[in-house]
Amino acid sequence: MKLYYFSEMPHHEFPDEEGAKYPSLRLEFPNRFFDAARAHTNYQRYLDEYELADRVGFDGLMINEHHSTPSCVDVGANMTAAVLGRTTKRAKLLILGNILPIEDNPVRMAEQIAMADLISGGRVLSGFVRGVGVETWWSNSNPVHNRERFEECHDLILKCWTEPGPFRWEGRHYHFRHVNPWCLPLQKPHPPIWIPGTASPETAIWAGRRGYTYVPFLVPFDVARELFDYYREGAAEVGRTVTADDLGFLICAVTAETKAKALEAGRHFVWRMGPTLRGPVEFFAPVGMRSRAGSQFALRARPRSLGSMSYDELVDAHFIIAGTPDELIDRFAHVQRELGIGHLLLEAQESRMDHPTTMRSIELMGAKVIPALAAL
Amino acid sequence: MRPQEKTISVGGIDVHAWVGGQGDPLLVLHGAGGNRGWTRWIEQVAERFTVWAPTHPGFGSSGDADWMEGIDDLARFHLWFIDAVGLGRPHVLGHSIGGWTAAEMAAMSPGSIDKLVLVAPVGLKPEAGEILDVFYYPPAQLLPMTVHDPKTIPEWDALFGHPPTPAELEIATRNREMTARLTWKPYMHNLRLARFLPRVTNPALIVWGREDRIVPVVCGEQYRRLLPNATLSVLDRCGHLPPLEQPDAFARLVLDFLAAPPRAAGGSARS
Repeated sequence: MKLYYFSEMPHHEFPDEEGAKYPSLRLEFPNRFFDAARAHTNYQRYLDEYELADRVGFDGLMINEHHSTPSCVDVGANMTAAVLGRTTKRAKLLILGNILPIEDNPVRMAEQIAMADLISGGRVLSGFVRGVGVETWWSNSNPVHNRERFEECHDLILKCWTEPGPFRWEGRHYHFRHVNPWCLPLQKPHPPIWIPGTASPETAIWAGRRGYTYVPFLVPFDVARELFDYYREGAAEVGRTVTADDLGFLICAVTAETKAKALEAGRHFVWRMGPTLRGPVEFFAPVGMRSRAGSQFALRARPRSLGSMSYDELVDAHFIIAGTPDELIDRFAHVQRELGIGHLLLEAQESRMDHPTTMRSIELMGAKVIPALAAL
Repeated sequence: MRPQEKTISVGGIDVHAWVGGQGDPLLVLHGAGGNRGWTRWIEQVAERFTVWAPTHPGFGSSGDADWMEGIDDLARFHLWFIDAVGLGRPHVLGHSIGGWTAAEMAAMSPGSIDKLVLVAPVGLKPEAGEILDVFYYPPAQLLPMTVHDPKTIPEWDALFGHPPTPAELEIATRNREMTARLTWKPYMHNLRLARFLPRVTNPALIVWGREDRIVPVVCGEQYRRLLPNATLSVLDRCGHLPPLEQPDAFARLVLDFLAAPPRAAGGSARS
């Protein structure tokens, strides 16, 4: 099983009681609390952590993107991929991912991902996501077009990568009279494509049909298994056999020399489960963004919100794994047995988890956990 | 004619409609909240006019229209509806997004319409203030913001006094989705509409609630200035839903306006 290091690059340098005054940290929490000097040092720190993860042997570095929120100030996944493409040597760069429905220029996106792939020597894994509602508000993209735009944007990016230009694109949502990108990926026919999932059966089926690597985020095991079944359903439609290499899973994890230290550090993940996800349902799922089936699945999939769970409950349910390296090996193997996955994505930095703690956790994972799991 | 519910096929879409009353035809176009049927104000207006109140495509129990992109598409559709049903040259009354639709219809084809009643229509960018972002709020929080005082509304309990059934919730979601499809960006307005309206010489009545918290009353002034043959009536102690909030006063305004003889200069006398 391959391990991936992931940091949301949060900006949690504000008093929590200020954040609590607003309906949500996303969209509504005013950016007068953004501290540019701190953000500068944060970016250096977060990139240092990514680079260490590369050196100690993580199979991949996962990068994501959000907007209008202190929970994630990585506002340009392809920019981060380009930086890491130059400063790291070995790990895959898992962009998970570019938010397709809010993109107005898929050709530029195809070029940027290609550029990151070229800079990194062909290490990009290109994830495509539908985004949460917050990004739909941020971009003012009509939520009822979310799925249509996701699919059309995807189709145009793939055409940019696989068909010689110049060509014309006249779709429903995208119109380009002259497509001829002079920047194409190093990997042929194109970088592998990854798709995350939290609640949408349609997305799982679609990914299965196309043979993309599929990764549920922070859902209970039984929900992940159900989503994997939808994925297999899509794969079966095209006669494709699903292997562990097609499936991944994302959790939060941290390690330290002692269990007590690790548990203390892991407590920081509670912030991302609660305060950063707090807000009206309209912020996260504006009207029309989800299909009826998706909405119903989401309700069943999360009988309890992550924010309503205590730290102990989050640990018991494997949303957070915090322990000594040996304990991590044991718990990660358990996740692998439960889900049959080939990729485990670790959100392994969080908010006020300090730099030395984060660096030590990365070192220990590299020294002990990654070698032990490579054989699984 | 006692009110009846009909299904009428127009442009390949099965449209649900309420029809009733007697006299010249009046086409009533509902707002984002959906078609509320034969309410008190319609009952009064139907004593003098034959009311046709279709449910917009994508709303309520009318068929889908995923191809629509904006209110101008809905306006074209209701011009087809007038032809399909054979209404001749009806009066058109529209509320909120229905008012915007009516204004676009008049801009596209002023000769297809007799008199125009625009009730708190969106469609123009306010000179001051903003149109409330209705998609940003949970429906339960939004509803009280649409009116001045629920306690004064005679039909409030009948319409909103019970928890919605699953079927009603499904329709409410459908209505919101179609509204988003039609009005998301630019939000609830068309910058070109201000260029079109000066050519609409039909007699027009604009009705607004002074306490409208959804669409600023200044938009009523803008409509009045842009339409060459319009009057504006602003109701006190009234929010965004004048037909429900003050049904009797509203029906009286509409009846007086529609029954008045056409002005000589308007060029909109019925043929």
